[in-house]
Amino acid sequence: MKIETLKEIIKKKLSNEQFAVLTNLSNGSSEIFKLGIPISKNFINYKNEIENYYNLKKNGIIDGTEILIQNYIKPVEVIIVGAVHITQYLIEFLKDLNFNVTIVDPREFFITKQKFQNIKITNEWPEEFFKKIATNSNTALITLTHDPKIDEPALKYALKQKFFYIGALGSKKTHEKRCGRLKEDGFNDEEISSILGPIGIKLGGKSAPEIALSIVAQLVYETNKLLLNSKN
Amino acid sequence: MTQSFKNTILEEAISWIESGQQVALATVVETWGSSPFQIGSKMIINGKGNFLGSVSGGCVETSVIAECLELIKNKNSFKKIDFKVSDENAWDVGLACGGEMTVFIEKIN
Repeated sequence: MKIETLKEIIKKKLSNEQFAVLTNLSNGSSEIFKLGIPISKNFINYKNEIENYYNLKKNGIIDGTEILIQNYIKPVEVIIVGAVHITQYLIEFLKDLNFNVTIVDPREFFITKQKFQNIKITNEWPEEFFKKIATNSNTALITLTHDPKIDEPALKYALKQKFFYIGALGSKKTHEKRCGRLKEDGFNDEEISSILGPIGIKLGGKSAPEIALSIVAQLVYETNKLLLNSKN
Repeated sequence: MTQSFKNTILEEAISWIESGQQVALATVVETWGSSPFQIGSKMIINGKGNFLGSVSGGCVETSVIAECLELIKNKNSFKKIDFKVSDENAWDVGLACGGEMTVFIEKIN
C-alpha cells in the first residue's frame, strides 16, 4: 500500500462517515471507496459488486474476484447524561470501541471536579443540548444522574426519537417511580418498557467500575444486535 | 470485522514510517471454520521484527512476521499466505483452533 493511501484512510476516519478501503489482491493496489466518488480503472469492472458489499456493510473478498473490501462503519453516537464517577470508568471502557461519546451535565461543579480527557463534554441541560444536535434511532442514551429533572427530559427525548438503546441508572424502586411519571406524561407501556432500567446486565457488583462494565456489556450487546439487523 | 474508527493501528504504522522504519501491513482477508480473528484484523511489522496488533490468537503470528521480514528485504511488495490445517506448514505454526485463514501482507511505501 502506498503511504499516500494510508494517510488518506487516516484522514477519512476523522470524518466519522462510512467509507471502505478496496484492495486488489492480484496487483496490490488500494483505494478509498465511497458512494458517488469515481472508481479507478483498477476496480471499475467490479463497481456493482463493490456497491452491493458496501451497502450491506459486508467485508471480505468479493465472490469470484480478487477484490478485498473493508468497510469503516460510522461509529454509534452515545450520549451520557451525568458527569459522575461511573462516567469516568464508562469512557475508559468505551474508548477502544466504535462509539462517539458525548457527556452532558448542567451541573458545572460535576464537570469541573471529575476528570474527563479527550472527550466531548457539554455543560448544559439535556433539553438545550438536544436542540443543537442531530440524533436518530442509531443513537444511544445513558442517564446516570438519577435526578429526574436532569435525566427525564433526556429520556423523553430519546423515547420520542426511538433511540435503539436507552438505559437509566437507579434502583428498581426509583425506576418504578420514573416509569409512573413517564406514564402520566403520556408515554405508553411499550415505549416505557424500552428503557433499560435499572441499567446494565446483572454482574452482582456495586462499585463504580463494576456498574460501568455492566452498562458497557449491555450497550455492546444491543449495538451488535442493531448492526446485525441493519444488515438483513 | 467492521473496521473500527477507534483502532489506531494505521496511525501507528504512519508514525513508525515517519521515524524511518520500514513497515509491512498484514490483514486477514479470508477465514473458514473456527479461526478466531475476523476479516480485517491487522498487524504491522517493522524490519526488526517488532510488531503491533494481531491476526490470530497467537497461532500464526510468528510465521506472518517471518514472511513480512522476507517481504521487506525482497523486491515484491505484497503476498497472500494461506494457513490451512491440512497443510504441514500450518501444523508447524499451529492453527490449533482447526480453522483456516488467508493473510495478505504488503509493504507500505
